[in-house]
Amino acid sequence: MADSDPQNHAESFASNRTSRELRPSSLHEPRVSSLALQLAKYTAVGKITVRNNLAYLYDYLIRSLFLLVILYIFAQLWRVTYEGVGTPTISGYSFEQLLWYLVFAEAMVLSSPRLARRIEDEVKKGDVAYQLTRPVSYLLFQYATYMGEAYVLLPVHLLVGGVLGTTMFGVPHFGWGWLGFLLVSVGAFTINFLLNMILALFSFWIEETRGLEFVYYKIVFTLGGMLLPLEMFGGTIREVADWLPFQTVVYFPSKMAVQFDASLIGRMLGVQALWAIVLTLCLTLLYRKGVKKLNVNGG
Amino acid sequence: MSTAVRKTQNLLDFLLTTWKLNLAGAMEFRLSFSITVGTMLINNFVWVFFWGVYFTKFPLVNGWRLQDVMMAQAVGCGAYGVAAVFFGNFIGIANIVSTGQLDTYLAQPKPVLLHVLVSKMTISAIGDLLFTFILYGLYGNHSPLGFAKLLLALLVGSTIMVFFNVLAQSLSFFIGNAEGLGFQVFNAFLTVSMYPTDIFRGIGKLILFTVLPAGFISFLPIGFLRDWSSTFVWTSIAVAVGVTLLAFWVFRIGLKRYGSGNMMTMRM
Repeated sequence: MADSDPQNHAESFASNRTSRELRPSSLHEPRVSSLALQLAKYTAVGKITVRNNLAYLYDYLIRSLFLLVILYIFAQLWRVTYEGVGTPTISGYSFEQLLWYLVFAEAMVLSSPRLARRIEDEVKKGDVAYQLTRPVSYLLFQYATYMGEAYVLLPVHLLVGGVLGTTMFGVPHFGWGWLGFLLVSVGAFTINFLLNMILALFSFWIEETRGLEFVYYKIVFTLGGMLLPLEMFGGTIREVADWLPFQTVVYFPSKMAVQFDASLIGRMLGVQALWAIVLTLCLTLLYRKGVKKLNVNGG
Repeated sequence: MSTAVRKTQNLLDFLLTTWKLNLAGAMEFRLSFSITVGTMLINNFVWVFFWGVYFTKFPLVNGWRLQDVMMAQAVGCGAYGVAAVFFGNFIGIANIVSTGQLDTYLAQPKPVLLHVLVSKMTISAIGDLLFTFILYGLYGNHSPLGFAKLLLALLVGSTIMVFFNVLAQSLSFFIGNAEGLGFQVFNAFLTVSMYPTDIFRGIGKLILFTVLPAGFISFLPIGFLRDWSSTFVWTSIAVAVGVTLLAFWVFRIGLKRYGSGNMMTMRM
């Protein structure tokens, strides 16, 4: 793309226009902080995404039926395993807790929008040029859209997965676990967004990023704790997983749902916050470099 | 040379030429080809990781050892690999029928179902085939007999995989667009074909050996490779032949109901 950032032009144009047009009336209206305005802007983007996605709710429901097959297979495997071991818990999880853990873990991964393929398509088709010239921050716009979509899909997947869990064990009583899950899920989706956005931005250089996303999710499946809670891992693998951000995406929220621990939730949120800061810095730097490098064809 | 022999020879020439051209087309973009195959290998190694962690804690799962489960992965992936590399359209028939693209095949002097099946090669599935032989190298029986058994297991497994899915995809002839349904059936079939059959009980197990015959693939590592149970070997071969004949028959009936579309298509 050109030397100067078009988004800056667009934002300064928008702010000039706003200041010219709104100044007289602003004398009579209560002052609204610019932060509140920014927040309202991106909340509106999130709301629109939610509304758009709600239109396809039935479609999502049908498509997520495959989740039932996966969970049914895992239920059979772990039932046999618990019977074979003969103890009520394995690595601190009862059979019921483990199955519900898998329901939450699968739901978290399936509800995460696939950013890389979306942005890769936008770059290939040239649509990204329109996105960059909007009077909104490209990254925050993507974040608001991501969160909006994730929180429409999450209840759908929890509902579908929950059908199996409820059939096998009855209605779950997680108590504070629901709130814990909800809180930690915000950090989890945020970190997943940041990691995915970093991968997606590589499309500004190399165009093909689906392969990277594919490999990324394989790491989430394993070291992130989607297939197995991290307690099941032996020494070194567990230590490696503890030092990586992937556990914050799946393991943290799923664990918090089925084994709520008030003393642990603060630590989990703290670790998520640290990763969010580090990854936001990386993402911002990468975006600044990438947007100068971007060469858009078509559109 | 009798007519039947000449026809068979022509058919084999046609298949070989199609596969050669499919591969040549895929190899045109070497880097993309390598990345696609490589990512599929990585995908499959996720399951090696899962089972590796599992078997460090639990030595057996209902009589299945690590080697058996790994060979179940090898045979399941291999059956899919053979199906998707050589008969890549086995999960694309519903789309071809419902969009009217079958016209192109009907106009050509070749067996329609076979022609449709071989017209596509799924490149990523080459990674699945490679994965099969890597797992065989690590966990399989390396004697000539062991290798012959693996090849036979792949033949039986892929035949069931292809023609059971042809049956599911052929629903498009009868109920309209069965693309979504066909995809769900395929996903379920492929997933269960790679897990130890003995974790399933009751109705689940009954389904695996009847309406969704993935059990005849997932049990191959035990009944075929490890223990060579004559009953299972002959039953699975009979199922493979039966499903194939049924698929050709149902496809033939479906063709009679097929209403051509008006979409213009061209095969390059």
